[in-house]
Amino acid sequence: MTSRGLTRFLQKLGCAGVIVLGVWFGMTGIALNAPAFAQTQDPAAGSVPGDTKGSTSDSDFWRSISQGERGKVSIPDQKAAVMINRSGEDWRLVRMGPLPLWGGVLIGISLVGILGFALLHGKFKMHGQRTGRVIPRFSQAERWVHWFVASLFILLGLTGLVILFGRFLLKPVLGADALGAIANAGLQAHNLLGPIFIVAMTIMLVMYFKDNFYQKGDFTWAFKGAFFSKNHPPSWKYNLGEKSWYWLIAFAGTAIAVSGVFLIFPTVLDDVRGMQLSHIVHAICAIVLIAASLGHIYLGVWGVEGAVDGMTLGYVDETWGLEHHRWWAEEEIKKNHAVKSASEAVLAAKKETST
Amino acid sequence: MSFLEFVEGPLWYVAAAVFLIGALWKVVGILRLGRKADLSIPRASATAGAVRSQFLHFVPHGGFPFRTIYHLTAGYMFHIGLFLVLLFGAPHVIFAQNNIYALPWVTMPYWGFVVAAQVAFAGLILLWVRRISDPVMIKISDKDDHIGSWLTFLVMLSGCMALQESVVALRATHMLLVDMWLIYFPFSRLMHAVTFMFSRGYTGAFFGRRGIVP
Repeated sequence: MTSRGLTRFLQKLGCAGVIVLGVWFGMTGIALNAPAFAQTQDPAAGSVPGDTKGSTSDSDFWRSISQGERGKVSIPDQKAAVMINRSGEDWRLVRMGPLPLWGGVLIGISLVGILGFALLHGKFKMHGQRTGRVIPRFSQAERWVHWFVASLFILLGLTGLVILFGRFLLKPVLGADALGAIANAGLQAHNLLGPIFIVAMTIMLVMYFKDNFYQKGDFTWAFKGAFFSKNHPPSWKYNLGEKSWYWLIAFAGTAIAVSGVFLIFPTVLDDVRGMQLSHIVHAICAIVLIAASLGHIYLGVWGVEGAVDGMTLGYVDETWGLEHHRWWAEEEIKKNHAVKSASEAVLAAKKETST
Repeated sequence: MSFLEFVEGPLWYVAAAVFLIGALWKVVGILRLGRKADLSIPRASATAGAVRSQFLHFVPHGGFPFRTIYHLTAGYMFHIGLFLVLLFGAPHVIFAQNNIYALPWVTMPYWGFVVAAQVAFAGLILLWVRRISDPVMIKISDKDDHIGSWLTFLVMLSGCMALQESVVALRATHMLLVDMWLIYFPFSRLMHAVTFMFSRGYTGAFFGRRGIVP
């Protein structure tokens, strides 16, 4: 290497060294200055980042906002002074936690209870033979209204369950997109059929009101073991369980109806808290009714031999009437309402409907 | 071609063709059956009787009104609600303008659509409830009646589920069911939507010729 070449090499080495040293000093300089920067941003020093004035730290500031702190606004709508409505978060936590959890538990208990009972005990069979003589039990109008309400209840129940439990049960299986489509569809159907249910339920409650007052003997029926006793205790047209089912529909159904109207027409309340409360009431009452309805459906359709005849044909066998609703059946027999054949019962029911 | 394009395109045209040709075929078949020569002495015009009965039978008369109040009310609720939704529902009008004709047409507001659909639903469910709970109706109803009722119900239900028009799959489901309904129509009692005029006309002419108000 010539002396000129050596000089050039040393020049380049020197430049490289200067650059490396420069970068190193620069970096260490920033690091050394960082604590000083942080020190100047200390909330205790009266200055916080994010252009916030005063001595409140960012975290305290945003925490109070997220907890529903009310500020000041110059517009008439004072609700706008609340940046984040805390009750919305509370509602969301209930909606995503205890509500589906305990709702699912209640419906599960109902299902397991019915299944266990059906497996262990089986059907409540009639003790005596069918006589062939029948007693009209439900008029045509009563049956039509019952099945109308039942059809709507099933549709609303299924769509409601999809809306409430879909995220937990369907999403893992079908995926978010499919659940979105199904839940959207369910909500549309739910909102459309809901008002029809309210009208139908009201008619049903009025129609069945007469025989559903609690009266003497109802509790005796329960104390004597209800349908679990060997010899069925006597009861009126409806026993204590059936009357309680009626009043459950009356109260829970009314709550569902009113809260449902508030949910469909949110402007009625003009308050988001009312909407949240309506939703919780709507869901709880619906879950209770669905859980109880499973028992009603089981006993009415399969669990009690001969019971379904009353609601499909309009009449029950005399033996069934005397075994399950003795006081009612005896009164009907005394009034000569018991008839020889099914066709006579149909005519009697039609006559009752038309008068 | 997407599934929606298929059910709104080729399948829709096939279903519409089956519906039109099938219904026409059935009507021609009924007319070709003819009727026996009526040898009675005409006391009045059979034609006038046939025309009169078309309108008279829209409402029950004589001793029937009270006995038929249930299915009369439910029937009118269902049919009026259905026709309002079908003919004046905005999504239907837009679909018809795109696929059948391009004439201007009146559409109902959204709330009107919802109320009409609710009335139609209530009517259809009430009619089906009667079918499964009236001892006579139970006996005279067969598979065709139930399939027709359920298919119509599903078409309506899927339609109301797609009401928000935000999910393509729901619209496609509705259209698929509509196509199925159109194909099923000529081969079922849904044909009563067309044949009721002929049966009323026949009865009206028969009695009208004898001078009786049908």
